[in-house]
Formats: sequence, C-alpha cells, structure tokens
Amino acid sequence: MNTRPDQLRAGAEAASAGLPALMLSAERLAAALVPGAHGQRRAGTGEDFWQYRPATAGDTARSIDWRRSARSDGQFVRDREAQVAQSASLWVSAAAGMDYAGAPSRPAKRDRADLLALALGMALLAGGERVALAGQLPRPGRMQAERIAEALVSRAALPGDEDAPPAEALRPGQRVVLFDDFLGDPQPVLDYLAHAAGLGIGGALMQVLDPDEEGFPWEGAVLFRSGSGALRHDTRDAAGLRDAYLARLAERRALLSRAALASGWHFGTHDTGQPPSQALLWLWSVLEG
Amino acid sequence: MLVLGPLGFVAPWILSALVALPVLWLILRAMPPSPRQVRFPGTRLLLGLRDAHPVARHTPWWLLLLRVLAIAALILGFAGPVWKPAPDQGGQGPLLIVMDAGWAAAPDWAQRQDRALRALDAAGAAGQPAALLVADGQAAGALPFQPAPELAAQLRAQRPAAWETRYPADPPAVLAEAPARFSTLWLSDGLEHDHRAAWLDALAARGPVSVVPPQGPRLSLQTGTGDRPALLLRTTGATAPNVLAIGLDPQGTPRELARLKPGAAEAQAGVASHPVPIDLPSELRNRVTRYEIEGQASAGAVVLADDSLRRRKVALVGDDRASEGQRLLSPLHYLRRALAPSTDLIEGGLGDVLQAAPDVIVIADQLSLPEEPALPEWVEKGGLLIRFAGPRMAASDRLSEEPLLPVRLRAGGRDIGGALSWGDPRGIAGFAPEGLFAGLAVPRDATVRAQLLAEPAPDLAERSIAQLTDGTPLVTRAALGQGQLVLFHTTANAEWSSLALSGLFVEMLDRLVRSARVSLAEPEKDQAEQPFWLPELVLDGFGRAAPPADPVPVAAADFAQGPAPGAPAGLYRGGERMAALNAGGAMALAEWPGARIESPTEAPGLDLRGWLLAFAAALFALDALGSAWLQRRTRRRRPDRGLA
Repeated sequence: MNTRPDQLRAGAEAASAGLPALMLSAERLAAALVPGAHGQRRAGTGEDFWQYRPATAGDTARSIDWRRSARSDGQFVRDREAQVAQSASLWVSAAAGMDYAGAPSRPAKRDRADLLALALGMALLAGGERVALAGQLPRPGRMQAERIAEALVSRAALPGDEDAPPAEALRPGQRVVLFDDFLGDPQPVLDYLAHAAGLGIGGALMQVLDPDEEGFPWEGAVLFRSGSGALRHDTRDAAGLRDAYLARLAERRALLSRAALASGWHFGTHDTGQPPSQALLWLWSVLEG
Repeated sequence: MLVLGPLGFVAPWILSALVALPVLWLILRAMPPSPRQVRFPGTRLLLGLRDAHPVARHTPWWLLLLRVLAIAALILGFAGPVWKPAPDQGGQGPLLIVMDAGWAAAPDWAQRQDRALRALDAAGAAGQPAALLVADGQAAGALPFQPAPELAAQLRAQRPAAWETRYPADPPAVLAEAPARFSTLWLSDGLEHDHRAAWLDALAARGPVSVVPPQGPRLSLQTGTGDRPALLLRTTGATAPNVLAIGLDPQGTPRELARLKPGAAEAQAGVASHPVPIDLPSELRNRVTRYEIEGQASAGAVVLADDSLRRRKVALVGDDRASEGQRLLSPLHYLRRALAPSTDLIEGGLGDVLQAAPDVIVIADQLSLPEEPALPEWVEKGGLLIRFAGPRMAASDRLSEEPLLPVRLRAGGRDIGGALSWGDPRGIAGFAPEGLFAGLAVPRDATVRAQLLAEPAPDLAERSIAQLTDGTPLVTRAALGQGQLVLFHTTANAEWSSLALSGLFVEMLDRLVRSARVSLAEPEKDQAEQPFWLPELVLDGFGRAAPPADPVPVAAADFAQGPAPGAPAGLYRGGERMAALNAGGAMALAEWPGARIESPTEAPGLDLRGWLLAFAAALFALDALGSAWLQRRTRRRRPDRGLA
C-alpha cells in the first residue's frame, strides 16, 4: 500500500468536507445512530435521572432518596434511565481483487473503500460515536480516527481472493458496515448476515466495483485471471461473454440484496468512477434510519 | 547457374523451397495470435461460461503477407541471385589464365585474384583443365594444364612482384604441352611489357582471348631529373594524387613528414607525367626515407630515398690562413656555418677534394686556379662549382682571362659604399619569380659595398640569377658541359657585403647546393670497385618494406638494369654507399588488337544476396513491430494499484 496514513486522512477529510449535511446533522446522529449511550426509555443503570418511584420490598436502604422522601411520608427511590453502549464497526475487505483499478486515472477499489470507511468513521466520531474497525475496541474521540486510518493503511493485502468479515467479532448493540466487492464466494457473507441478524445487529453492505467490472469492456481473445491468479478463464470472444457476465453480476447483487433485506441490513453499490460523496450520503442515510 | 532474363541464380535448387510458401501461408493463418492476459477480480463470475460464438481469430492479412514475403526473400537470397551475371568465359575448352604480376598489378590484386578464381570455378564446374601463367618472370619451362580446382590454391598464394611484369621470352616453348585449342583469360595491368605482342599473337592463334583491363589508373613514381630535386609521377588517369614524404620524426617514429603536390602534367600517349618538386628544408628532406603516392599500394608508387636524394657532398676550397687566424674574417667560416647543417663538408686542397668526388665545390676568392685539369673535367661531368669574389680577384690584372667563371669580369671591381665613394651600399633586388632563388625573402639590411663587375655581354642578363638594386649582377650562373659554374660577385665574408651575415646567404647556398646533381659518373666507377650490392630492405609488390628474408648479393651489372627477379626493388648497400632500386618507371599503355576486352561493369554482375537478406531482416523487424502494435491496439491498460 503506497498511501501514507496522513494522505488517507487528508483524503477522507476532503471527502467528508464535501458533506455539509453530514456535519450539520451531528445532533440527529446522536439521537438516531451514533450516541455513545443510548437511553432505553426505561429504568436501569445509567447516568441520567429517569423517575422517582415508591420504594418496594427489596430496595435497600441505601437506594432510598432521602431528600425526596423527606418531602412526603413514603420512601422514594430515585431511578436512572437505563443506558446501553452502542458502537459502529467498519470492515474493509483486503482480498487481492480489491487492489484492482481498471485505469490509472481511477483509484483501486480498496483505496476507495478505505476512503469511504474512514470518512464514515470520522463523521460518526464527530458525532460522539464509538467507532472501530471490526475486531478492535470501539472508542470515541478524534484520536480514534487517526488509529483507524493507521490500521487501514498498514493492513497488508491478502494473497487470496477471499476475505470474510469476522463473525466472532460481532457484539450486540453494534452497527456494522462492510466494504467489499462481493465478487468472491458469497456464502461467508450470507452466514455473517444470518449471524448478525441473530444478534439483532443491523448494518449495511457496500459493494465497491470498478467501472470495468460493471461494464465488461473486453473483446477478442482474452485470458482472465483473478486478483490472486488462482482462477482463470480463457475465452476467444470476450465480447460474447458480456451479457452472461452482466447477468451473473446482477444475480449476485440480487442475492446479496435479498439476504440483507431479510436480516434488516442495507445493500448499496458504489462505482469507483463516481465521486465518493454519493456513497457516503447513502451510507449515512441508511445508518441514520 | 540458372539465368532468368537479367537475373541469374548460383544455387537454383534452393528456389524449390518456394513451393512451401502456400503451405506456410495456411499454417500461419491457422495460428491465432496469443490471447491477452487480463487481471480481473470478477473472474469467478466468468467461470463455466462458454463462448457463444467462438470467433476464429486470424492473423491480419498484411502481417501474414509480411511474413511470407520475408520468407520468400530469404529463399531467394540463399539461392544466390546475381543481377546481370557475367557471361561464362570461354565456356568450352581448356582455359589459360595469364596474370600480369608486376608492381602495376598490385593495387587491385584482390579483384584480379577474385576474377581469376571465378574463371577457375567456372572451368572446374565445366570439368575443363586449366593453366596459370603468372607473368612475374619467375616461371620456367612448359606450362602444365591441370584440373582447374588444383590451381585455386596456387592462385591464392600468388603475390605481385616488386618489378615490372615480365612475360617469358618464348611463347611456343611455354605452350609446348598445351592443348591445340584453348581460351585465354588475360588479367592485364594495362601496360606494355616486353614480349606482350608476341604472346598475344601466340594465344590468339590457339583460341579466343579475353582481356580484363585493370580497374582505375596505374601510377608510378620515379626520381626526377633536373637541377632541383624532384620526383616524376606518371599516371594513366586524369588526376594525380599527392606524394607523401615519409620518414622518421624527431622522436624516431616513422610518419608522414610532408605532402608534395604534383605539378602541371605533360601528357604523352595517354600517360601524363607530373613533376613533383621536393620543396622541403634540407633537414626535413634528409630525414625522408621514402616517397610514396598517396593511396597506391604498389611497389611502383614508392621511391626509396638513397644518397642521390639525400645530402650533397660539398668541398670547400680556400685559404684559411688568409686572415691570420681571425675566424670571423675567414670566408670559409661563413660557408662552413651555412652548409654544415644540410651537407657533408670536405675541406682541403683542390686536388685532394676532387679525389673524394664531391657534388659541389665552393672556392672562395681564389685566382688562377692551379692548373688542375681534373677540375674542368669534373664540372663538365655534372659538378657544381661555386666561386666567391674577393680582394685577390679584384687586385688581379688578368681577371678577364680567368677560366671557369660564368661571365667575363672587368678588372678592378667597384667600391660603392666606401669612404672614398659617393654612393651608398646597394641592397639586393628581389628575385625573379621563376629563377633559382624564387620566393626567397630579401632582408633590407643585406647590403653590398663592393663587387666585381661583369663585362657587358648579350647573355649577361640571362646568366644573372641575382642582382643588386641598380641592376648589376650579384650572382651569375652558366652551364659548362653537364655541370654549372656559379659566381658570387662579392665575398663570402663580411668584408664586401653584409650578405654573408644574413639568413638569405644560407638559403641561397642551400638552393644552389640542392640544384647540384649527383654525379652521374659514380655508378660506373663503382662497378669496378663494388661488384656486388647487398639488399638491406626490399619492397614487396604492394610497396611494403621489409628486411630481406634471404639477402642475396646482386651483381652491379644486374643492379644497373633495374629491379628484376632476384633483385627486387629496395635499398641496397655497397660498401659505404646506399643505393635504392626503385620499381616505378616509364609506362606505356598496352593495345589489344583482336582480343575481347572485358568491360569492368559487366564483369562481376551485381550480387543481390546481401540485399535480399537485409530486406528479409527488415521485413522481420517490421513484422515484430506490427505484432507489437497489434497487441497494444487491443490491450487495455494493466490494472494499476494506488491512488496517487
């Protein structure tokens, strides 16, 4: 990876700077998606006052609020609103195919995915959310953006074509965003979604593709090799394969979209030929909802 | 050789490979270009897909044409095509090859050998016997006719000789074993030699004779005659190249010391003679070891410098005691200083120096030369006598009777700048542009105060080669027999003039001494004393000098005949003397009545093989470029990682 952390961060900041709506809606973010502590609208452990209730059997003497009780005859207990910590987990595939860029003028898919992930993370952090890459401890604060950028950049590409999100890192109360081209074996992703749905975790799948992968512009005799070179396909007439390929791509998208819908997730696509802000807006809107 | 119109093929059977071209076309057509390799992450989605309409990818027709053309050019090239090949020589019957092998054949010797080898090959292919007559004067006996291939090695081993081409004197004797009819290929050097006409008649009587004339003009270089040292360049061509003077430089390495320009030509019967004056300072000239015509590798184009082109032997005769030991007053002192760097000086009495056979005798202010009968005889045989006037001559009353002077002198002389005269000392007038002293600069301060005057005579102006500003003679010259008499009308010391103090004095003496000829009588005299000459350095036919491998003494009588077998051109030593035997000499163009002259343009035919092979290579290069372009045209750019 030839991008330095500060470059990636600068790029991410540039991308998120183009989203005034994102920055302005930080308050809504706190209520809807990101707050570090979500009020559960019921009594429980927490910081904020919820209600006074009459003491019942089983309340210890220490739990009685004596100041409130002194104003009347009964004893009252001061309840606090229950709070559950929630966080966002980001995951970017490191499969070999993610290093692909169809033209020198376009970024590699992985670079674009890193950018999107960091921009999203920074927006969430700016809203006070705890954010981390999958498998790491979510923390709030601006410094966390630095750590995420560092981790994204320092992560080496895998030699193989497959990279699955770590299902064991799923925790209740998380929101998960997966960035991948989803061109590998779909089964691990489907399993992951099922597992997440079981834990009540919502999130979004973002498919990042190169325009070449969406348009299939080749013709003539071509020997296709996958990112790692493990898979090969030899054809004499690449142009004749275009329709079949596009059909399979659409089928793959439909499969992922169905699975996401079934587990309460969202499925979006992004083209590296397009500016990243579009995808960021979409991600924001689905995470907000 | 297969001949199709103007095109001939040396190896026509290779052309049968052209039959394979259509097959090659089909094979090349069926071979598709290799697929492009593309890195594509979505390959998994392609797995199992089949080509709906497999398009047969053919090599483009123009690439195919290029390749087939290249192969065809290769096949044609290896078949040895010759454009307008030379018609077969003689064709039928035995073949006699006559090779002129003198120095005149040396410059294009390789082409001659090639031509002869071609003829031998043709004769060998026809199964005809052949014979080789190398006209270097060394062949003897009857000429055997042998199978042609056996002669090739003999032919390749031949080298031109360092003498003139020589034909055997008796054609019938040499041709005694020859078949009744044969054809002759005569590789001539273009020059007339002894017995050539007899040979031409004898050969023409036996069969057709075709003559291969030499390519380019023949040139020869020879020591020139005349009163100034010169070479004589003869050429059968229109232009005369420069002559290089080669000798040891001060470091002792041989190099080109000067470049001499040939003068105006004098044409005679197709041969132009250019005199080449050796206009070099004496010091430089004495270092020159050989003169050669630029760009001519031939023994005839080389003149080795020997004694005759080198230092002159000068005898000084005078009374050295006249000034009672005061050196600067002695006339001989100035002469000695002027002549010593460029000449060999001898001093002594007149009788003694004549024994040493000098080229020049200088006598300062001597009157009534001793009754030495040898002196006039010496001058008449080519000696140069230089005399200087002086007080003794001026005082003589029998001056007008004095022998061995170029002009008659008036008694008394003239005193121009003295205390008792009105005039000023006279300067020296500029020299005539074509005279002996032409081009010498006259210094202003060289003046003459006293001189001896000549009696007026019709030929006085003609005999004056230097004059004072008032027109009176300073130096006069007259011929006597083959020699010359020169008189300086003033002294050789500073008594009468300051001429002896100037550099002009040295230059005038140098010109005079160079004009002296080397005495012709010497070789004859030496013949008795020096019966043999031993080679020190011999030239080969190409004019390259080498020490003789086998020095055989040459009898003086043979030596005088010029270079010959056994006495090649070179430097020979006899006792104290070095003499050069130079090959170059007179030339006369040969005439070939009744013989077919092979024109040089028709001779070899143009060999197209190299051109065709180069053409094929160019086509293959084009093919590589076209293939690369084809690959590039359909190739998408390779995936590239990284943002920036």
